[in-house]
Amino acid sequence: MFGDWHQLWEIISNPDNVPVVALLFLVPFFTWFGLRQAHANDRLIAQLEADPEKARTHHRKTQPYHPSWPREVHVWPYLLRVELLAAVIVTIILTVWALTVNAPLEEPANASITMNPAKAPWYFLGLQEMLEYFDPWIAGVVMPTLIIFGLMAIPFIDANPLGNGYYTYRQRRFAIWTFLIGFEGLWLVLIMIGTFLRGPGFMLFWPTQTWDPDRIEFMANRNLDDLFGIDGRWLAHLLPASQKPFAVIWARGLFGLIPVTLYVVGAAYLFYRILNATEFSRKIFRRMSLLQVVVMEFFLILMLSLPLTIFLRLAFRIKYVWETPWFSI
Amino acid sequence: MAAQLPPPDDPITSRSLARPLLVAGLLLLAVLGWAIYQEEIGLRPWRGYQRRFAQAYAAYLEKRLAERRRAEQQLHASPEYQRLRATVEALRRTTEEQDRRLEQQMNLVEEQRSALLSTFQTARSYVGALTYEYEEIPDTPAYRKEKQERFRRLQQALAEKHRILWPLGNGRTEIRYLNYDQLNAQFNALLEEKARLMEERGRVDQPLKDAEAKLAAFEAQKLPGLSAAQLQGLLERVRNLDLKIRQVYVNPPGRALNYLGGGMIVDRCQSCHLGTDASLVPPGLTLTKADLGMANSHDAPFASHPEPELLRIHPVERFGCATCHGGNGWALDSVRTAHGRYPHWLWPLYYPENFQAGCQTCHSADAYTEFATVLNRGRYLYRVKGCIGCHKYQGFDDQADQLTDVQRLIRELEREKQHNIEEAARLNRLGDQAPDNATAQRYYAQAAALTLRNSQIDTRMDVLDRQAHDLFLEVKRVGPSLKEIRLKLQRDWIPYWLEHTHEFDPNAQMPQFRLQPEEVRAIAAFIWQDALKGPALPHQPAGDPARGRQLLYERGCLACHSVGEGTQRIGGDFAANLSREGEKANYDYLVRWIYNPHLRTAPYCPYEHRDLTPEDYARHGLPFVFDAEHSRCPNDGHELEFEEPTVMPSFRLSWQDARDIASLLMTQKHPNARYAPAPYMDDPKLFAEGRALVRFYGCAGCHEIAGLEDEGRIGTELTTEGSKPLDRLDFGFLLTSAKRGILPDGSRSPRGPWYDLKGFFDAKLRQPNVFDRQRYLPNPRDRLHMPTPALSTEDINALTSFLLGSVDTSTIPPEYLYRPTDARRAIQQGWWIITKYNCIGCHQIGVGQHTVLEALPQYQGENRANLPPILTFEGARVNPDWLKKFLANPALSTTDTNRNGVRTYLQVRMPTFFLSDDEIRILVSFFQALASQPQQFIPPVLKPLTPAEVRMAREIFVSPAAPCLKCHMTGNPAHDRTASAPNFLIARERLQPDWTRRWMIAPASMAPGTAMPSNLFRFENGRWVFNGPLPPDLKNYPGDQVDLLVRYMFQLTPQEQQALAGRTPAGTASRSSR
Repeated sequence: MFGDWHQLWEIISNPDNVPVVALLFLVPFFTWFGLRQAHANDRLIAQLEADPEKARTHHRKTQPYHPSWPREVHVWPYLLRVELLAAVIVTIILTVWALTVNAPLEEPANASITMNPAKAPWYFLGLQEMLEYFDPWIAGVVMPTLIIFGLMAIPFIDANPLGNGYYTYRQRRFAIWTFLIGFEGLWLVLIMIGTFLRGPGFMLFWPTQTWDPDRIEFMANRNLDDLFGIDGRWLAHLLPASQKPFAVIWARGLFGLIPVTLYVVGAAYLFYRILNATEFSRKIFRRMSLLQVVVMEFFLILMLSLPLTIFLRLAFRIKYVWETPWFSI
Repeated sequence: MAAQLPPPDDPITSRSLARPLLVAGLLLLAVLGWAIYQEEIGLRPWRGYQRRFAQAYAAYLEKRLAERRRAEQQLHASPEYQRLRATVEALRRTTEEQDRRLEQQMNLVEEQRSALLSTFQTARSYVGALTYEYEEIPDTPAYRKEKQERFRRLQQALAEKHRILWPLGNGRTEIRYLNYDQLNAQFNALLEEKARLMEERGRVDQPLKDAEAKLAAFEAQKLPGLSAAQLQGLLERVRNLDLKIRQVYVNPPGRALNYLGGGMIVDRCQSCHLGTDASLVPPGLTLTKADLGMANSHDAPFASHPEPELLRIHPVERFGCATCHGGNGWALDSVRTAHGRYPHWLWPLYYPENFQAGCQTCHSADAYTEFATVLNRGRYLYRVKGCIGCHKYQGFDDQADQLTDVQRLIRELEREKQHNIEEAARLNRLGDQAPDNATAQRYYAQAAALTLRNSQIDTRMDVLDRQAHDLFLEVKRVGPSLKEIRLKLQRDWIPYWLEHTHEFDPNAQMPQFRLQPEEVRAIAAFIWQDALKGPALPHQPAGDPARGRQLLYERGCLACHSVGEGTQRIGGDFAANLSREGEKANYDYLVRWIYNPHLRTAPYCPYEHRDLTPEDYARHGLPFVFDAEHSRCPNDGHELEFEEPTVMPSFRLSWQDARDIASLLMTQKHPNARYAPAPYMDDPKLFAEGRALVRFYGCAGCHEIAGLEDEGRIGTELTTEGSKPLDRLDFGFLLTSAKRGILPDGSRSPRGPWYDLKGFFDAKLRQPNVFDRQRYLPNPRDRLHMPTPALSTEDINALTSFLLGSVDTSTIPPEYLYRPTDARRAIQQGWWIITKYNCIGCHQIGVGQHTVLEALPQYQGENRANLPPILTFEGARVNPDWLKKFLANPALSTTDTNRNGVRTYLQVRMPTFFLSDDEIRILVSFFQALASQPQQFIPPVLKPLTPAEVRMAREIFVSPAAPCLKCHMTGNPAHDRTASAPNFLIARERLQPDWTRRWMIAPASMAPGTAMPSNLFRFENGRWVFNGPLPPDLKNYPGDQVDLLVRYMFQLTPQEQQALAGRTPAGTASRSSR
């Protein structure tokens, strides 16, 4: 049932969800705030670049800017006093939070009666959301490991010498968009979905839809090979007798290779085009070694697979594209 | 780098942050203040409660203290107090001198002891060590020298003289030299002297102490409650009340009190509910909100426990609070959390209407729990409303299950026996054909062993059959047998009843099923066609309804049945309302039923699974007779179900009485009551469908139905329903409204969200299919089919309390469960039978319990004496052997049965319940235990009377001051018409002499309102003396005169009584029964 505002209020006012509700406002604000500064700096950079003399000797590259101001200022007191102020404000916020909202403790754990919905802590909700779409082995072990490795690889694959230590958009367009899509668009959105849209039974409920644990949802999923009717009948003729009973497994495994290969090739080409989209990016691309390119492509292809899988699942009820006895994708 | 002033126009270096820092700092301070406030007050609301309590309670105590002081002053001025006080003072003066002398002596002894002590202790440990050293060395030549040396040292120590400064009193001393033995002797002598002096002092002080005790007792008697001094002390304590968490902490060793919320009981309830803290409100003081001037406050948790007796039995130090009441005993920060009324606390505080659920938690083995009227009502309804027919409940009427087990065992044994017979025959044949003697012998021995085994089986089966016999007497069904409905009911009424149960009788025991019209037709047709068709009942002539009415009101029918409709309704709700009986019943059957409801049309053989017919008996040349004496099946020899499984007893009425009552009942109908003809009842096509529906709806849970005798219960077992996780209860589409406090009728729930067990039970009992709402269930059989019971709101609360308390007891430490093994066990078991047969409809048994009869108009005022006796002390009154006989046959006669056995003068009748031997045994033990009698009864031997004593006793017996036989029955019909007390002749067998003695001395204190006069005797010179003009020889009788009369009564013969009756003045007395 839609129009259940009480339900929405219950979700938003849940003490568990305070950080996520805060994210809802803080993330757009700081994104905007950062971009605004970047934009101002970009204009300044353009202005300074027009006057090479000044650019070389005397500039901060950040707004506010005046030619007569020193290029650097002391940490004490100019930085530390601001940090002190920030620390005080955060202390106030945390204290008020602690005073007004009690720890959302529940009853003693009981293995035979588990909570419904059973949700991970909010910062892991993205992982839990991934479990909905991927093989647990992939979503629970492979992906988190690769995400960490990917984050570790960023300094290695970053061949752009500009844009360090100040806000800029123009000099960091690719990195910013990767961040906006990969972190805000995927990770944070998955957390939001897990918090606000996942109800009892981890079913998807739209905002203002009543969270009814008895709801019955149509979720009969199939694999891509089911859609194509892969049953190993043809392959059985080619296999030796001992393998004939496993023909369907072989057939599915072989069939699944096709779309996965197509995706990898297609996505690699797509990113290649993006990396060479502008003059500036072509310059950066040429600075990269083959290994850097391969690593970067690998992680980007992986990142793109997440929204694609979600799309396939939600739009076509497709569970796995490639199913093998050992892993499924 | 040289210090360089920042450019004044650079915002980073020149802008002052003082203002934001000031604001943030102030804010931080404010938040800190808030945190401190929360720490001290906000999160510790109990401090506020304690302050308020101390204030209000101190004011209350001051008032009480002033009153008490005035009262004490008045008392102290009274001459009696003055006299007692003077005695005390005089004694104090006389003993003072002696006390002082003794005191001096004791002081001297004490001085001498301390003078000795240190030297003696040192010497003793030295000697002890030397003795050990000497003993330690073996007595062998190798050690001889060393041993001699050590012996010498020991002797030296023993002989050594110690110097003692010996006090002689008044500061004088002398010097004494004592060796070890002398020290020892002196020390022991001093101890003895001290004990002697203390004893003497006690003797000297005794009269003073006695007088003081007398004074105190006098004061306590005249002015009960706390004394002024005690109140003053209390007031001091309250004025300086220590604001602290008041906590009960119970941690039984080696136990995990999981159910009770963690590893132990930690209840801090008294931090706010200060009135329940015995150190503040001691026992003997009760405190209400009104006492504190807070009668209208909704936030004054200060009253003392309303039932101090309950608290005395269940001390807080052992049970805590939440154990019984529920709630979160640990929490202190708000009322809501402390009461556990939030989603994650699994044991919230029970609502006031369900408080007694807490009793059931540990008292789950009780059928009746003292103080728990609501809970007892719940248990009663669970039976009477037929819940038990569908829902199993451990310990509740499990005789039917036992019977099934016995039947199964019998069947198995029969099979084994048959197999053994065949096997023995085969072995014998083999033996006959055996080639040699040894082989033949072996076969014959095997066959003989099997024959022996069969005789063992026969014995075992006999035991089982006797058990079955008892169980058939004990198994009772909630509803009437449907086997008899063809004989009993009007055909056309049956479908109407099925469809309009509660229209016909709004308080019907049978719940209202939600049946489709075609289901009604099929069920009615099935039970009609399935019922017995004969043998036909004898035709009964019409009776006299007017006399029937009198009998109905007088004999006690209304203890269970009710008459009248709506507000006119009177009587009990244990059985059906009789006001529309005439619309449904068949007269001939009704007469037989009233005559004896246990009479059956045909016996049921559980072994063959069918009702027997006269032909079965004829085939074996037996008459068609079946009763307790003829209870075996002629075909297979096993026990039969020979009587109707009804709790309704036989009132031992004559056939004429039965006809009169039945005639009255046949007139009980609504004018123009008419039911649509139901010709389909005989349509055989409906039979199979009807049978399936009857099984589906579980009719056989309450009714006996041919072919469905062994049907099980169809509902959920409810033994631990109160522990069921909420997720396992299906709230259906009401789940969201339950969580948000919207009731099924759309209104707001007064207690907010009702998503809890109480909410579920409550809604389910009000409307059992409520959780089907909004569901698409086109097939009626998919819908919830629990029928709607006829319950009032109080009834629903009672049943809800019962279910809430029905928790899984496996996590409760066993010592908390009420499973007594002593005499209380007999009481616990007995209540199951008392409630099963509704004995409490007529008799008051528990203290403060009310009966149905006493509320009836005909027993008000003067007529209370016509009520059946109070049985609280029955176990002390009567001889248990007699009671056994009486319960089996309350007429105490096999010929003259249309009367009471003891109180023949009472119109209300003790009926025959056809109890099993086991039930009688339990009941007798129950009454014994209830009256605190030893379970093994040994009748006391009474001293025989001398002729002189007989003479004296006779004189009291017929004395004009107490003409016993004026009220007590004598056996003379003319006299007994007006008599109002039992015959003395049955006393010997019936009564216990000790009780009789107590009864004669003070009947009114044992049975308030009795017609037996009190003050017949007075206490004089250590014995009881008759309180009337004493005949001359009695005046000099040294013995106890009550004792004399008791002994006389217990040897009274009919002739003697006859002779005395002639000497008693005639007259009528008011009725006495109690």
